[in-house]
Amino acid sequence: MNPMNTAAQPQQRQFNPYTENGGTILAIAGVDFSVIAGDTRQSEGYNIQTRYAPKVFRLTDRAVLAVNGFAADGNMFVKKVKQRLEWYRHAHAKDMPLHAIARLIQTMLYGRRFFPYYVYNILGGIEDDGSGAVYSFDPVGSYERETCRAAGAAQSLVQPFLDNQIYFKNQQPAPGTAHPAHLPLPHVLSLVIDSFTGATERHIEVGDGLEIYVVLAKGRDLSGLEGFAGLQEVSSRSDGERIFVIRRELKKD
Amino acid sequence: MSIMEYNGGSVIAMVGKGCVAIGSDLRLGNQALTVATNFEKVFPVTDRIYLGMSGLATDVATLREQFRFRVNMYQIKEERDIEPEAFAHLVSSTLYERRFGPYFIEPVIGGLWKTQGGEYKPYIAAADLIGCLNFAKDFVVAGTASEKLFGVAEGLWEPDLEPEDLFETISQTLMNGVDRDAYSGWGAIIHIVTPDKVVTRTLKGRMD
Amino acid sequence: MFLTRSEYDRGVNTFSPEGRLFQVEYAIEAIKLGSTTVGVRTPEGVVLGVEKRVQSPLLESSSIEKIMEIDTHLGCAMSGLTADARTMIDHARVTAQNHAFTYNERIKIESATQAVCDLALRFGESVHDEEAMMSRPFGVALLIAGIDELGPQLFHTDPSGTFMKYEAKAIGSGSEAAQSELQDKWHKQMTLREAQVLTLRVLKQVMEEKLDHHNVQLAQVVPGKGFEILDEVKLKELVDEM
Repeated sequence: MNPMNTAAQPQQRQFNPYTENGGTILAIAGVDFSVIAGDTRQSEGYNIQTRYAPKVFRLTDRAVLAVNGFAADGNMFVKKVKQRLEWYRHAHAKDMPLHAIARLIQTMLYGRRFFPYYVYNILGGIEDDGSGAVYSFDPVGSYERETCRAAGAAQSLVQPFLDNQIYFKNQQPAPGTAHPAHLPLPHVLSLVIDSFTGATERHIEVGDGLEIYVVLAKGRDLSGLEGFAGLQEVSSRSDGERIFVIRRELKKD
Repeated sequence: MSIMEYNGGSVIAMVGKGCVAIGSDLRLGNQALTVATNFEKVFPVTDRIYLGMSGLATDVATLREQFRFRVNMYQIKEERDIEPEAFAHLVSSTLYERRFGPYFIEPVIGGLWKTQGGEYKPYIAAADLIGCLNFAKDFVVAGTASEKLFGVAEGLWEPDLEPEDLFETISQTLMNGVDRDAYSGWGAIIHIVTPDKVVTRTLKGRMD
Repeated sequence: MFLTRSEYDRGVNTFSPEGRLFQVEYAIEAIKLGSTTVGVRTPEGVVLGVEKRVQSPLLESSSIEKIMEIDTHLGCAMSGLTADARTMIDHARVTAQNHAFTYNERIKIESATQAVCDLALRFGESVHDEEAMMSRPFGVALLIAGIDELGPQLFHTDPSGTFMKYEAKAIGSGSEAAQSELQDKWHKQMTLREAQVLTLRVLKQVMEEKLDHHNVQLAQVVPGKGFEILDEVKLKELVDEM
C-alpha cells in the first residue's frame, strides 16, 4: 500500500482499561474462626510481574478482605473500603461489623455498575454473634454468606474440591450420624494448604507464596494454631478478636 | 463455541496399586440441552485395557469402531492381545493421521500391562485431539470438566491405593468435578481394572 | 443594649460583640412557647409523651401529630414550630434508611441525632449571590428516643444544633416545672410502666386542661417491638390507672 495514502484508510484504535493478573483466593468459615488465604504471585499473560503481591488484607480486628482479578482495581478498591471504614469509625464511634462491611462492599461495587472494579472479593471474619463468616461477591456486588468459597484463576480447580471436603458433597454420612456443618481449625488449615499446593501444581498463574489469615473469635484460645511455622499475630489488641497470618512458600515454577 | 464442548462430557483415569480405574460421566448434550443421560464414554479394548473419549459425540462413536477394527486387526496379525503402551501409540497415530482435519476427541487410556515376571502393572495415558501423548504416573483427565477434575484429583489422589480405595477416590473426583460443570454429569460409570477382574459400577449423581 | 440587639439580631451568621447569635437564641425561645413534651429513659425502654393542645372543640385531636417514627427502633417527640420538625424528621428518616441500605444494620440513636443536628446547623450556609437553602434556624426542639446496641437512649436537640443525652427530659412551655418534677421522681431502676405513669403525671401537672386520652399522646421504644405510638385504648388504660 502507498504509505502516503495511509491517512485515507479508516483506522480503529482501542484502549482496554482492564488486565487479568492471575492468582487465587479462598476463604473458609469455622464455628468461631475464619480463614482467608491467597497466593502472592502476580502475573500478566505469561510474565510473572512479582512473586510477592499480597491479595489478602486486614480491614479491622475482625474482618479480612481477599481481592482477586485486576490488581490495580483490587488495590484501589481495598484502599477505598479502608477509607470508608475509617469514616464510619469517626461517625459512629465503633468498628464496622462484618455484615455491614459486606453490605458496604456491595454498595461500593454496584456504585460502579457501568465501569466495574474488575475484581472478585471474598470477605472473611467474625460476625457480631461470634460466629465465623465468609461473604463472597461478584464484580458488581452480588453477594452471599457461605461456609467456603474459592475465586480467581484456579477457582475451577479448588471449588469442587472444597464442595467435597467442606460441604461433604457426594458423601453419605454413616448411618445415624450427620456431616459436621463446620470443621476444626487444623483441618481447615490443612485443606487450605492442600488446595493451594494442588492449584500451584496445575495452574501456571498460581504459586510463589501463600498468605493465610486466621481470625479468631473473641475469647477463643489459640488451639490449632500453636506451633505453626511462620505464624505472626497482626491484631491491634489482645482482648478482642485476634488475627494471625501464616506465610508459606509455594512452588515457584 | 468450541466444537469440543458441543456435546459435553468428561473422562478420567487413575493409577492404583496393581490396578487402574477409568470412568466417565453419562451426559450427552446438544449445547445446553441434555439429550441423553446414558451416554458412556469409556469402552473396553481388551480384557485389561479401557479407552475413554470425551469431545464430539459423533467422533467418539466413529473412533470407538475405528479402534475396535484396528485392535482386532492387530490381534489377528500378532496373535496376541495388544499391550496398553502399543494401544496408546495406536491411538496417537490414528489421531495424528488427521493432523489437519482432526477428530474432535481427547482420548484417555487405562490398562494393565504384563511384566517379564508375569505381574501386572498399571498404565494410564491421555492425548490431545491430534494424538500428543501424555504418560502420567498418577491420573489423567479430559473433557469439559477437565480443570475441575485436575483440581479435585490433585487434592484427593495418593499413591498405591487399593482397588476399593481407588474406586472411592476416582468416584469422588469425577462426581464433584462434574457437579461444577454444566456440560457434564447426570450420573457416571467407573471401571476398576485389576489383574483378575474388572469391576464396573454405575453411579447416581445430581440430575442437574 | 437595644441598639446592640437591633444591629446583630438580623443575620443568622453574625456574632454579636458579646459572642451571641441572637437568631439562634430567639429560636430557642420559640420552643418555650410550644406544648410540653416529656421523655423518660429506663432500662426497659424509653417513653415519650406530649401534650396536645386542642384549641377548639371543632379540632380533630387525632390530627395533631407530635410524636413520629424515624425508623423501627427509634422515634421522636417535638416541641416548638412543629412544621420545622417535619423537615428534620424527613432528614432523619432518610439518614436511617440510607444507613440500613448501605450497612445492613440499624443506625445508632446518637448517629441519627447527630444527622439531625448537622441539618439544624445548615441555616448558616448561605453562599454569596446564591439562594440560601435555609433562611433561619429551626424553631423546634426534639426528644429522640430509641434502642440500639448501647441500650435504650434519649437525646435532646435544640435549634443551635447541640444535642445531649438525658435520663429524663422535658421541653416546651411547661418544661421548667416538668423538669424539676422529673428530677425528683426519676430513678435508675424504673420500670417501663412507672415511666409511662411518671410521664403522664408530669404532663398532668403542667397542663391547663384536664388530662385525658385525647389531649396527650404517648409513645415508647422497647426491645423487640421497637418504636410504637400507644393507641387510645392503651392510653386510656394508663390514664385511668394514674
